[in-house]
Amino acid sequence: MPGMNPELNEDLNYIDEREGSAYSFYTPKGFSRPVRLSEETRRFAYESLGHKYGLDTRKTDAIVLDDEPGFESLSPYEKYDLAVRRIAEKAPVRICEGEKLSGAATLGAAIRHVVPATYKGQTILPSLSHLTADFDRILTMGLGGLRAEAEESLERYKGTEKEPFARSAVNTLDSFEIWLERYVNALEEASAKDQCFAANLNNLRHVPYRPARSFYEAVQSIWAEFAFLRLCGNWPGIGRIDRMLGKYLEADLSTGAVTYGEAREILAHFFIKGCEWICGGDYGSGDAQHYQNLVIGGIDAEGREVTNDVTYLVLDVIEELGISDFPTTVRLSANSPEKLLKRTAEVTRLGGGTVAVYNEDLIIETLTGYGYPLKDAREFANDGCWEVQVPGTTDFSYLPFDSLAILQQTTLNNYDIEGAGTRFPDFESLISAYESDLAAYVELLCGGFNAAYRFGTDGEFLGWNPVFPCTAVSLFERGCVERGLSYLEGGPEYRIRSPHIGGLADTVNSLYALKKAVYDDKLVRLDEFLAILRSNWEDSEPLRRYMLNKYTYYGADNDEVDAIAARILTSFADACDAQNKGYGYRFPAGVSTFGRQLEWAPHRLAAPHGRKKGEVLAANCSPTPGTDTQGATAIVRSYCKCPLKRTVTGAALDIRLMPSCVSGEDGLNALIGLMRGFVSLGGFFMQIDVVDAAILHDAQEHPEEHQTLSVRVSGWNARFVTLNKEWQDMVIGQAEGGDKTFGGCGQCG
Amino acid sequence: MRITEIQRFCMHDGPGIRTTVFFKGCPLRCRWCHNPETQRPGQEIMYHSVRCIGCGACVSACPNGCHAIGPEGLHVFERSGCIGCGSCVSACPANALEAAMREMTADEVLSEVLKDNAFYGAEGGVTLSGGEPLMQGGEALELLRKCKAAGVNTAVETSGFFDPSLIPSLAQCVDLLLWDYKDAVDGRLREWTGAADRLDVRNLIACDSLGIPSVLRCIMVSGVNIDAARAEGISSLFARLNNCRYVELLPYHPFGGSKQAALGREVTSDDSFIPSEQELADFSAILAANGTMLSMQRRR
Repeated sequence: MPGMNPELNEDLNYIDEREGSAYSFYTPKGFSRPVRLSEETRRFAYESLGHKYGLDTRKTDAIVLDDEPGFESLSPYEKYDLAVRRIAEKAPVRICEGEKLSGAATLGAAIRHVVPATYKGQTILPSLSHLTADFDRILTMGLGGLRAEAEESLERYKGTEKEPFARSAVNTLDSFEIWLERYVNALEEASAKDQCFAANLNNLRHVPYRPARSFYEAVQSIWAEFAFLRLCGNWPGIGRIDRMLGKYLEADLSTGAVTYGEAREILAHFFIKGCEWICGGDYGSGDAQHYQNLVIGGIDAEGREVTNDVTYLVLDVIEELGISDFPTTVRLSANSPEKLLKRTAEVTRLGGGTVAVYNEDLIIETLTGYGYPLKDAREFANDGCWEVQVPGTTDFSYLPFDSLAILQQTTLNNYDIEGAGTRFPDFESLISAYESDLAAYVELLCGGFNAAYRFGTDGEFLGWNPVFPCTAVSLFERGCVERGLSYLEGGPEYRIRSPHIGGLADTVNSLYALKKAVYDDKLVRLDEFLAILRSNWEDSEPLRRYMLNKYTYYGADNDEVDAIAARILTSFADACDAQNKGYGYRFPAGVSTFGRQLEWAPHRLAAPHGRKKGEVLAANCSPTPGTDTQGATAIVRSYCKCPLKRTVTGAALDIRLMPSCVSGEDGLNALIGLMRGFVSLGGFFMQIDVVDAAILHDAQEHPEEHQTLSVRVSGWNARFVTLNKEWQDMVIGQAEGGDKTFGGCGQCG
Repeated sequence: MRITEIQRFCMHDGPGIRTTVFFKGCPLRCRWCHNPETQRPGQEIMYHSVRCIGCGACVSACPNGCHAIGPEGLHVFERSGCIGCGSCVSACPANALEAAMREMTADEVLSEVLKDNAFYGAEGGVTLSGGEPLMQGGEALELLRKCKAAGVNTAVETSGFFDPSLIPSLAQCVDLLLWDYKDAVDGRLREWTGAADRLDVRNLIACDSLGIPSVLRCIMVSGVNIDAARAEGISSLFARLNNCRYVELLPYHPFGGSKQAALGREVTSDDSFIPSEQELADFSAILAANGTMLSMQRRR
């Protein structure tokens, strides 16, 4: 079936399924994953998810530079260039059985986020992450084009302070080519024995040196850049894979150069190779998160919908393999194609939380509102996690902090305030004091970056201070080579340090609880309440329960408390904006905790909304566990009342649903409805997790943390915690009947 | 209107995302009832012993001395003097005491329903359930009309035991009837639910003849109503209907038991009512053989 045009059959994603496979992937009970990929590809996925290649990296951790003469006297750039050169020359070459794409990041130390080279037993250079590299230029210019640009830059900057970086750019391209040459040689050898590698060899002889001519070459080209960056210890994101690859696939399908099914196989190998760092074992936050997100769907720089065959093939691959890398975010809008919503929902409900969604309508407006040109705003992707950035030309990092600690420790002085009632005679005085403390903290947080700049005698901005060499990434960030400035030294078009407020829901709930109990309902005086909190609710269990049960908090669609959230976020965003000085970095606001609520828990005091010291509280922009008493739609509503157009780098909402809750046609439609509502109400980023038995066990032990878990009871659904023990047991029993296979465990950002 | 609960984000009370409004009051007394707090029309105070912290706030709050804390900190609720005033409910910090009912106007309910308007899309909407929502017929119709006027899709989950004179109005404002067809065997229906006659079937046929779409939702109670006679009865009823989309089998669950206890009633909920997979499969097989459309057949 050469060149079968999927437009001829809207449902091609469904019809080319076959029966049965020797390899199965984690699937929630009651659901099934389609089998479309070849058995060979499924085996490759099974092995890769089963840590085969991740464990292979343990054989060679790093390249040893001990015997390099005069190493200690080299300049930082010389050290870097030498390290990258030796990595390119010496890193093990790995060609996996049956692989359709070649090139591998085979050094173990890279998985620990360093340049995998050591001197006297120590790694010598840090590496980069939280960025999405530019892949358009390698696709359209090839390394040859990049080399011409780098050589021109070296010529231009010779004899200036920019020369070391410009020279390093050329050296790093040399190293990249050395490494590629080793793969070409190895593939020549392999092809002599097994013809299956002939296609890889043909591809690698052409790309990434030259511009890609076909879909297959384009995928190999992106993979080569990605693998080389990872080989050097960096953790880049991929960005808009369907926007980059769509035109190649369209052309190849129309000429019959590739079939739809073959294209799916090739993309599947991209995903499978992307799992080469999965090592298994206990890593705390998971072993498969190297900020390698990709983004699909949405409009392009000109405002045209990107969604194409590549978009659906990506979803096909995730659906079939339950693969946790690459985590994928779908850009949705009010105008998203119906099929995109449906396919996103179908894949989402298979669990694992691998697929998340952006609301691009809001995000593009947010970015342009912050000053990004419309074309760049429309091209947004992320930093490899979910923080929004313009891919390929953004120096990004974020600055996380615990807003609850500021309330507890600064504003309320660890709940030890002489004459508290006089100091804060009304709620307005309390919340205003908190806003001032928050703003002061943001200023402190951002002010530290002045050390990154050089100023003239009159205080004028001269440029960046040197940081550590990071040439590999700089090569693939637009602006760096041209400007003769590395990624960390002002090279990219956008330079972002984004303060991220954490613990937002708990700060808001604390303020609201104080407002209600002390000022509105006058249940208790402020000084009394603070003393009770200081004692961690000692002898005050009835009051604690009252605070827990009698008020509704953020996440339950209560306008009064949601207004406090909006006010605090607005103050925070104002404080961030005030840090923009017109040079150097900009400081756009964001909301996150990622997993930090776990780290913060031991340092937090009891909280007025009925929480004891040490409890793990809210994640990201999500509600405090247990306060989301009205279900997922109410959570989305509360969240969307936040001024999300001010959270420029993002505010993440986590929703967890039971598989039974999204089963059948009703469940699918409900999931689509949830996404539609999220878009129309103006959400930013939402990750829906469809969770399983282990979560249910935990929910049984800690019901207060799992208020939103919904289960299908019979003809309707009820929240799990509102079921009695017997029923919970039965539902758990049903959930535990699921397939005992690995995989599917998505790591939230 | 008398409401026990308004539950948002319901996925299985009709198509799409729905907000389900539970009405209080029901003409039947099904011994397997999943929502016993919706049976009696008046206010009832539910006491959830597992939540009680024995603080005694209810003792001082109650005007009639219905609450006491026993010698071992054990809470005692003497319901005979309870007038359902709810003073204890407000005072209880642990939500161990809960009022089963609240009075709401149609506009108040509507404003709750409209909160999730952004999520309903073309399919989702409001479902009136209970209890028997049509026992408060005028109120239910008023709410349905207001929802329709606001562009919200409407469904009613009914036992079928309601005043037939409501049907012409119902046809104007309901998009789907979720019909709890409890049994096809008359004597057994009377014995287990207290139903005096087949008003449910007559009403269903009347609704169907007016073109109201319906789904037959059949509660499956082991040892009570799972047999060939009922399956045949369902099939023949389904065959008579022109606007019934499909039949859905709902296995009994013991959810109602803890609520009966909280209401201070005899617990008639029984684990032996839970049907086995085999019973359900055999029953489905009869329906399928008769060409009766089952809910799972319409799912991908």
